[in-house]
Amino acid sequence: MILNFDNFQKANQSGSKLNNIRIKNLNIFKEKGFPTKKEENWKYTDLNRIISNNLSKLEILNDKKTSQYNNEWILKNFQHNQIILVNGDFVSSNFSFETKEKITIKPLKEILNEEKDFEKIRNYFDEQENSLNALNHALVNDGIFLEIEDDYSFKKPLIIYNFFNKFSENKIINNKSIILLGKNSKLSVLEWYRAESDIKYFNNTIHNCSIQKNAILKKYIMDSNLDNSYNYHFTNVKSYSNSIFENFLFSAGSSFIKNEIRCDLVETFSSCFINALIFLKNQQHHELKTNINHKQENCKSSQLVKSALLDKSNGTYQGKIYVDKKAQKTNGYQLSKALVLSENSAFNSKPELEIYADDVKCSHGSTTGNIDQNSVFYLMSRGLSKEQANRMLVEGFLNEAVETITEPNIKSLISKLFIDKINKTKFEINEY
Amino acid sequence: MLDIKSLSASIDGKKILDGFDLKIKPGEVHAIMGPNGSGKSTLANVLTGKNGYEIEGQVFYEDKDLLNLPIEERAQKGLFMAFQYPLEIAGVNTNNFLKTSLNTIRKVRGLKELDSLDFLKLVKTKTKNLKIDEKILNRQLNVGFSGGEKKKNEILQMTILEPKLAILDETDSGLDIDALRIVSDGVNALRSKERSFLIITHYQRLLDYIKPDFVHVLVNGKIAKTGCGELAEELEKVGYERMEIGK
Repeated sequence: MILNFDNFQKANQSGSKLNNIRIKNLNIFKEKGFPTKKEENWKYTDLNRIISNNLSKLEILNDKKTSQYNNEWILKNFQHNQIILVNGDFVSSNFSFETKEKITIKPLKEILNEEKDFEKIRNYFDEQENSLNALNHALVNDGIFLEIEDDYSFKKPLIIYNFFNKFSENKIINNKSIILLGKNSKLSVLEWYRAESDIKYFNNTIHNCSIQKNAILKKYIMDSNLDNSYNYHFTNVKSYSNSIFENFLFSAGSSFIKNEIRCDLVETFSSCFINALIFLKNQQHHELKTNINHKQENCKSSQLVKSALLDKSNGTYQGKIYVDKKAQKTNGYQLSKALVLSENSAFNSKPELEIYADDVKCSHGSTTGNIDQNSVFYLMSRGLSKEQANRMLVEGFLNEAVETITEPNIKSLISKLFIDKINKTKFEINEY
Repeated sequence: MLDIKSLSASIDGKKILDGFDLKIKPGEVHAIMGPNGSGKSTLANVLTGKNGYEIEGQVFYEDKDLLNLPIEERAQKGLFMAFQYPLEIAGVNTNNFLKTSLNTIRKVRGLKELDSLDFLKLVKTKTKNLKIDEKILNRQLNVGFSGGEKKKNEILQMTILEPKLAILDETDSGLDIDALRIVSDGVNALRSKERSFLIITHYQRLLDYIKPDFVHVLVNGKIAKTGCGELAEELEKVGYERMEIGK
């Protein structure tokens, strides 16, 4: 990777505080480099190797005039508010369905450039989970700052369009999003990723969410319109009393993606739901890593991950539930089910429970297997071809994850995209 | 319609069917009875095309070599098996599955595919005639169905797909009297000059409702005795063991 930091500094004037943070974090990254499988968290994903094999000429995107996107990529016949990011940069936003005074929306760049404003988001530069976080702190130049006042429920969902065009080719893109949801407020967000075909880049994003008392944040992530991209998304959620965080991931597009989600249930009666559909083919490599931290009493977490892997693809789910000794009456649940449909594909599942309280209910389960041949026979005996039977069984298997979506409009949108994806996939599955 | 000539089938070297012969003409209803392990279900599986058997002999279905046809083509050409143990298939909606199945078969037969509305109409009529609760169609295929519901679902599928040859593999096992009536009414409603049935059963009870043209007794992988309806009654009284001795 070519890190021309001097050019970056010239292109992104920042105050001395931010500049010091950048330099400190850049040095951390330079010392550690991209994570390798020697790190426990990365044992199934040797990112250092993935980068050197596929993206050896990565450089920072400093070009200013790069924000073109295809207007047809904006969803029609679906009422929504929108934010458009192109190559990680904030381009525009439209909240025409909402009460403007209740919402503060700013390009993150504006905040980074103002010393006084920056102080308010300084704590979002403290996260030190790994070297990619450091790299993000060092090189972040834009993103989203969205703050919702107390007692405000969005009338329509918000779609955050993350578009990538040809200027992102071989670039490393670092951005952050900060979503702060006030007390008793409610927001549903769909993170929609789309790239011009075959554009190869590395996107390193940190998503920060704060959900105040009684608030509900629903976050849906779709990467199915990305093909040759490489991505690391770190989502950091703080959930306060009686709040709900619902997260659904449709992980099916990128060449490489690691979604790492940390949700701290810091006050009582908060809950967190993470559900994912992972559907991979060719040589795709996707990982989902979760850390749910039950820090107070009576919180609930639930995770369901359904995966199907074709060809030479590789999927991983590492799900951790941590229960603090104060977090009595915790209810934690996780289940991973994977269909490994080719002898060259692989799925790794590592459930982890770390429990220090004695009055908790925590369970986990993990199954990995091939498609049931008796079921295939049953469907074929009704006239379906082997391919039709396999497709129907895989669709039915994965659809259980789609069924967890509680926002009806978004559910039907994702369901349609999922079925399109399934119908376009060849299911020449051999018994092995 | 169906001509089975000295059919043998083994699994892991163990012979289950051993020189089995049977001819079924259009419109005929044949019942096969036999003790446990005599090869009844194997016969149904081999005719439907289940993998895993080493097969010898010949089977002609409408003068075509059935054993060389892929599973789905057998079904598309009008062969249907009602499973002894219908599978529970999670995530697959019964309605979607049946519609896909019917349209695949209709396409092969050169008929127009049904759209959702026409299909719904068809299903409403059929479920009503069979006195089956149409709610089962909105559920996942056989998932959480009672034994009776599963068997009724098989009969509903048969009724909708309108096969030329239907094989019922112990469809009566585990049914209460009411369900048994629904199953047999379903079969009787489909009886016609062109359509044949092969009914595999343990008990004569089902044959009180569906009058067969022929009853065969299967012992050790071949037909030991053939008769008409009275043979089943005799079997019920005497038992398989004595019949075998009398062979």
